[in-house]
Amino acid sequence: MVHIYVIDNGGQWTHREWRTLRDLEVETRIVPNTTPLKELQKENIHGLVLSGGAPRIGLDGTLGNCAEYLDKAEVPILGICAGHQFMARHFGGKVQPSELPEFGQVELTLCVDNDPFFAKVPKKSIVWESHNDEVTTLPKDFTKLGKSENCKIQAMRHKKKQLYGLQFHPEVEHTQFGEQIFKNFIQLCEK
Amino acid sequence: MFDSEKFIEKTISTLQKDIKGKALIAFSGGVDSTVCATLVNKAIGEQLIAVHVDTGYMRKNESEQVKQMMEDLGLNYRYITASKEYYQALKGVEDPEKKRKIIGEKFIRIFEEVARKENIDYLVQGTIAPDWIESGGDLRDTIKSHHNVGGLPKDMKLILIEPLRDLYKDEVRKVARALQIPVSERQPFPGPGLAIRIIGEATPERTRLVREACFIVEKEIEQASKKGLMELPWQYFAVLIPIKTVGVHGDKRAYGNTIAVRAVQSVDAMTCHYSTIPHEVLDAISTKITNTLGENVNRIVYDITNKPPGTVEWE
Repeated sequence: MVHIYVIDNGGQWTHREWRTLRDLEVETRIVPNTTPLKELQKENIHGLVLSGGAPRIGLDGTLGNCAEYLDKAEVPILGICAGHQFMARHFGGKVQPSELPEFGQVELTLCVDNDPFFAKVPKKSIVWESHNDEVTTLPKDFTKLGKSENCKIQAMRHKKKQLYGLQFHPEVEHTQFGEQIFKNFIQLCEK
Repeated sequence: MFDSEKFIEKTISTLQKDIKGKALIAFSGGVDSTVCATLVNKAIGEQLIAVHVDTGYMRKNESEQVKQMMEDLGLNYRYITASKEYYQALKGVEDPEKKRKIIGEKFIRIFEEVARKENIDYLVQGTIAPDWIESGGDLRDTIKSHHNVGGLPKDMKLILIEPLRDLYKDEVRKVARALQIPVSERQPFPGPGLAIRIIGEATPERTRLVREACFIVEKEIEQASKKGLMELPWQYFAVLIPIKTVGVHGDKRAYGNTIAVRAVQSVDAMTCHYSTIPHEVLDAISTKITNTLGENVNRIVYDITNKPPGTVEWE
């Protein structure tokens, strides 16, 4: 069974991420973001989800041990909302308060055709948002995967490593292809 | 996928190990507390005492129905009327967080008294995932203090048992169906009751207004859904906004309160889309509320906010 743990950065939907993974038959647990990487590695993890977080933590600060996970975990990592923003900052991108924050329903447009992370997700789909800040400059080693009308970087991935970031929330019921995105991530973790 | 049969089996055996003696369950009559009571009843039988408190903020005839249900379920129960105390405690209180905390604490004080008299050590609550998530703590921001989590007094000595902590409403309903519980499909109703459907001070008179408005909204929407005019929403109710606007009643100036109609679609309460209510149903609701509540209410508005950015209840 594939093991994917959810790193809790204090998001409202951390537990929903856990539930989605569990519903997809993944062995999963919610762990605090202060958990040492060594402890996670002892449990043979195949992937990590960095959850969203309390207001504004994407803008600055260290977000527990998330930096260490990104540098040394060597498993696929999915950063969501604040997790995504932290990933961008960590690799040299820029995060700023959104000119137009997005809450609730938004249309996502994919910018690439064949990324396995978005397999079976149509070019345009409905996603749900809840953010005050966003990634405004992509880190050098990353590719943009998706955008919306008011947020240029809705999805990104590292060019060489299996690191993915999403500004929107694939774990909530109202995101149309959210479960498919999790299925794709699980497949990447299984490889 | 969530397996309700496995959950029931595992929970009953854990409860048998965890509860040594008598336990009290906070019983509102909703799906969470009813599922909880049924599971604990299966685990420890007569050792469980269900306590229902009529806070004065229940819906029309609700507490009477809950009493009947406790009878029907064969629960060992206590029925407590405390509306005067609640109205007194909330006198002059306008802040929604204060309301929630006062109500939460009052529940516990009542339970503690029953516990003292009857030698009970355990308090069972039907807390589900959104309750503790939204109540916040440590890293997580407090969206609202759910009375059963953020409203618990720090000095409470009862040992807390919360078998449904990791479940969302749709999963609780699955368990309820497996246990053949009659209220498995009942719409959610918050613990603080109508007190948080009144913006500002929750006086007895305002409670009367919002109770009547909620009754009309529920009745009209249920009838419309039976007739196939609309899908039954996940939750549907009225909110009293004590802001006065001008109207005209029979050639006379009116100056009354506002009622908002709220209905949402959801699966787990963590995200919600406002429900589309057909205009003919909105019409019926609007006319019935203003005619029934006369000079007190002369304006009806329809809430079209999703969650996020809104929450389901207004407070």
